[in-house]
Amino acid sequence: MAKWYQLQGAENDVVISTKVAIARNVKGYNFTVRLTDDEKYEIADKIDEILDGKLPGKFVSTPMVEVGRDLQISLAERNLVSPEFVSFSEGRTLVTTEDESLSIMVCEEDHLKIQSLLPGLELEKAYELADTLDTILDEDLQFSFDKKLGYLTQCPTNIGTAMRASVTLQLPALSMRGQIPRLANTVAKLGLILSGAYGEADNPIGSLFQLSNQVTLGISEQAAIENLKSISLSIVEQERAQRIELMNSLKFQDVLWRSYGTLKNARVISFGEFMESMAVVKVGVAAGEIAIKNERLNELIFTMQPATLNVEYGQSLDRQVRDAKRAEKIREVFE
Amino acid sequence: MLCQNCGNAEATTHIKRIVNGEASQIHLCYNCAEHLGYANMFSGFGFNISNMLANFFPEFTRALPSVDISERCPTCGTSFEEVVRSGMMGCADCYSVFYDKLKPSLSRIHGRATHVGKSGAFEVAPVESPKFEDTISKLKSDLQAAVDVQNFELAAKLRDEINALEGGTDNG
Repeated sequence: MAKWYQLQGAENDVVISTKVAIARNVKGYNFTVRLTDDEKYEIADKIDEILDGKLPGKFVSTPMVEVGRDLQISLAERNLVSPEFVSFSEGRTLVTTEDESLSIMVCEEDHLKIQSLLPGLELEKAYELADTLDTILDEDLQFSFDKKLGYLTQCPTNIGTAMRASVTLQLPALSMRGQIPRLANTVAKLGLILSGAYGEADNPIGSLFQLSNQVTLGISEQAAIENLKSISLSIVEQERAQRIELMNSLKFQDVLWRSYGTLKNARVISFGEFMESMAVVKVGVAAGEIAIKNERLNELIFTMQPATLNVEYGQSLDRQVRDAKRAEKIREVFE
Repeated sequence: MLCQNCGNAEATTHIKRIVNGEASQIHLCYNCAEHLGYANMFSGFGFNISNMLANFFPEFTRALPSVDISERCPTCGTSFEEVVRSGMMGCADCYSVFYDKLKPSLSRIHGRATHVGKSGAFEVAPVESPKFEDTISKLKSDLQAAVDVQNFELAAKLRDEINALEGGTDNG
């Protein structure tokens, strides 16, 4: 079955993916810091039981102690779990659909983090998926809720909706034009955070940024999502405009075709070099000068990462071997 | 992540703020945090500056001897001191047990907001019981609304409820 990141999504020339995560805690249990491993597995068992009864066959539940290190890191590389979630395995369980678009991290920071992941800009749909699963589970598990403070979470910063929605944006043109600091400033005033997805906050690998809501108390899920969507769309427009501008520059055209050459011809390539070249090539794709579908490039962001490649080849590959395998896979896309 | 002030050392202090509806996040290393005065809020209790989540509770690290921080939540046994030190609540009941002490920190993180949006199926003991005055004023506005739409049956019922409540205070 195809994973969610192999499919096409809206605005996928700029928006790589959408994630909605909802934190919940089960009635009658202390918060995660005060639970024994046995109690943590008890919560996971309850979730399994409910899902087996109500949505049979849809979810697979895996205790993290049964997952090898490469696969654990690969899960984090593909945003299915947080890096924190795989920092240790005991007491933790991952519940997920086969395409990985809907999942639950059991006993990360809160008892449940219900998470949906979709390609492109799909905030309403992603929220609907997570919300439906939340409602189904709430009927039996009963999540701790207070009228004034909303859903109660281990860390008081997340109370209220306890929802974090985020979109991953690829902004090569705005980055090259030095527009990121201005943009980060503007969105902060609107209650959002713009931060680098991989690497440094201001200059991340492959110009990949995450835009997410900051406020969880006093704003409804729908309003938070609407806010995030409209600002995302405005950034998408700005990025598109800057991409058109860039194509007028001979200097940029040179960088573009060299990057294209790298991806089409390299025999050995690191993930970082792939991401940098790919971000530039995106501008050429937008201008219609390079005929490659955005979804094929976006998919590579997830599949070309080191641990994910190891998992695909069934072994922890030597770095050079892995860089060669990566180059081979990328050339297939650029044929 | 590197310190946003010096750009040299690893950031160990992370501060989230919402001021006048503007959200911001600052990431600082130990030295810059101390230099910029973010370490001072822990001086009273000698808490470890590198404990990022405790940053949400400066009120209690700024030496308030009158506040009893040794009080414990009867459900999970977490003391308020532990909440301050870790930045983590022990269980859902901690919110109502420590609500009065938490209030300043909560309003600094979230403003004066109260929850809007989805409601859960299960409610814990409310952190704040509805105030008597609020109940009366709600009934009075309901009464006015009923009169406005000429629903006199409802209006009469509401008037009786108000009289009963107000009479109750006079007698009590």
